[in-house]
Amino acid sequence: MTSQPVDIAISGADRSLALGESAVVGRVMERVRYQPGAPALLWHGERISYGDLGKMVCEARSSLERLELPEEGSVGILAKKSPRAISLILACLLDRRPVLLPSVGLGAETLQRLFAQAGCGHVLSPDASPAAVSGELRCEVLGAAAAEDRSPARSPGVERTALMLTTSGSTGVPKIVPLSVPAVERFTDWAGSRFAITSGTTVLNYAPLNFDLCLLDIWTTLKHGGCVAMVDQDRATDARYLLDLLTTSEVRVIQAVPMLYRLLIDAARDRAHRLESVRHVIVTGDSIPLHTLEALPALFPQARFYNVYGSTETNDSFIHEIDMSDVGARRHIPIGRPVEGVSALVVSDGGRVVEGSGTGELWVATPFQTRGYLTEALNEGKFVSRRDGTGHRTYFRTGDIVRRHDDGSITLEGRTEGYVKVRGVRVSTQAVEQVILQHDQVMEVAVVAVPDDVAGNRLHAVVRRDKTGQLNSLSLRRHCARGLDRVAIPSTIEIVTTPLPKTPTGKVDRQRAHFHRAHKEKST
Amino acid sequence: MTDHTDTIKKFIIEEFLPDVPPEQLETDYDLLAGGVIDSLGVLRVIVWLEDTFNIALDDTEITPESFHSVEAIHAIIQHTQTPTNAT
Repeated sequence: MTSQPVDIAISGADRSLALGESAVVGRVMERVRYQPGAPALLWHGERISYGDLGKMVCEARSSLERLELPEEGSVGILAKKSPRAISLILACLLDRRPVLLPSVGLGAETLQRLFAQAGCGHVLSPDASPAAVSGELRCEVLGAAAAEDRSPARSPGVERTALMLTTSGSTGVPKIVPLSVPAVERFTDWAGSRFAITSGTTVLNYAPLNFDLCLLDIWTTLKHGGCVAMVDQDRATDARYLLDLLTTSEVRVIQAVPMLYRLLIDAARDRAHRLESVRHVIVTGDSIPLHTLEALPALFPQARFYNVYGSTETNDSFIHEIDMSDVGARRHIPIGRPVEGVSALVVSDGGRVVEGSGTGELWVATPFQTRGYLTEALNEGKFVSRRDGTGHRTYFRTGDIVRRHDDGSITLEGRTEGYVKVRGVRVSTQAVEQVILQHDQVMEVAVVAVPDDVAGNRLHAVVRRDKTGQLNSLSLRRHCARGLDRVAIPSTIEIVTTPLPKTPTGKVDRQRAHFHRAHKEKST
Repeated sequence: MTDHTDTIKKFIIEEFLPDVPPEQLETDYDLLAGGVIDSLGVLRVIVWLEDTFNIALDDTEITPESFHSVEAIHAIIQHTQTPTNAT
């Protein structure tokens, strides 16, 4: 490759560093200059070096320049995961442009609204020519952006925004979560040292590019000179592909939702496979069934295992290193203890802070958190200022109901909004799901409340069984009766063999699972 | 006296457990504890018993617990069909 474009990029990175700006991009560009041959990305069987990546960043930057965008204005990037998409994000960060990264799976109307809210005058896609989103969308966004300019970069005295992610929107329109440059730096520093991600460490990236999980998989890895083994989003459920990728790329760190581990366990069982290179296995995003967890050490004989709890708003806030010898005795894996620098409160129904053991809503304040949703009206009641030992700190109300045990560990109990009344009794649909998931022939479950004239609500469970095909509603009811109050045992249980619908963040989409059932009932 | 166990089992399976092979439903399995039959389900069982066996349960002292298993339901039929209780 030629040296000239790299020099341009380096000068940009130096400027950024001098101004205390994104060290992620600065450190990547240092690597481009001093270790251009080191691997940065693995994609479709190809190895992309830091030198190659630097060249792609420069190309993206040239494309940006040709667009003559307003100085430091936000841009939207609508892209599936690819090396070019990563280069484009780096180029924007280098230009100190806040980047809104929504899910590519969102509808056109929702996308337009999000881009308008974020003040994105341009929506970029790396897969075609520069500014490759259709002229129609771009023009509409420009019009709306003028009226609704909340571009986070412009507010004086506020830390500069690096990335704008969105919540999953499973309960409505996704909310924009701006993450400041310092917050991203603090997180990537913590994650790098916690999971020993350094020069030469290969980290699997399973999540789509717009997920908060990429702050670890991709941005932490690149900042510290590691190599990202990228899973193609279109092949994310192809177990054989996933196993081959892990085997050939000597991955040391994996962070993923439980689904990936289930897929790998099933694929590896057929081939008696062991992934010896993996040292850190991070489970996040959802509760992992115990039978999946118990099968992990055989697949990853050299690994340590972690349950990590966090949200897009706060990033990782709790971590629990799983003691595999202890797993069988527990019904729930703890979310563990607060990450360094994190404050956590358990707050009871009445707003009282629970000291010691007890249950309540989990409130957290982390060094990595957003300063609030971009649309300020949404922050009311979700971000709460509280005085602690060192002054005022903003806590995020997670909406998760937790139990703090006598030993100080915390387990999830359900969601504040997940409770329904069944025959007058308050039941957590998540708690019911947790119990059903512990059945070793259950792969996935969605429990929904169906309004009922008599009972108020009746619970309906859609359950995906495993390949053994032995599970039926009676055996599942026997299992439920052991762990649930009678009123919480679903009135109807539907056993299916196909995967349940997922939200853009990979969790089971309860409403769609329910919709399929309602639709089916209507048509039969 | 006729044994109606299989008839009852067939009804319970068809109505409440359509995916379950009959041999897996034991006659003493607690249908209430497993959530197979709830208070609304009990009403369906009563209607079926009355139609199928031509018995009236209105005056009999019954509670949901009386229907807690295939055996228990069988006992109700036998009880109501004994000559002393016949109407």
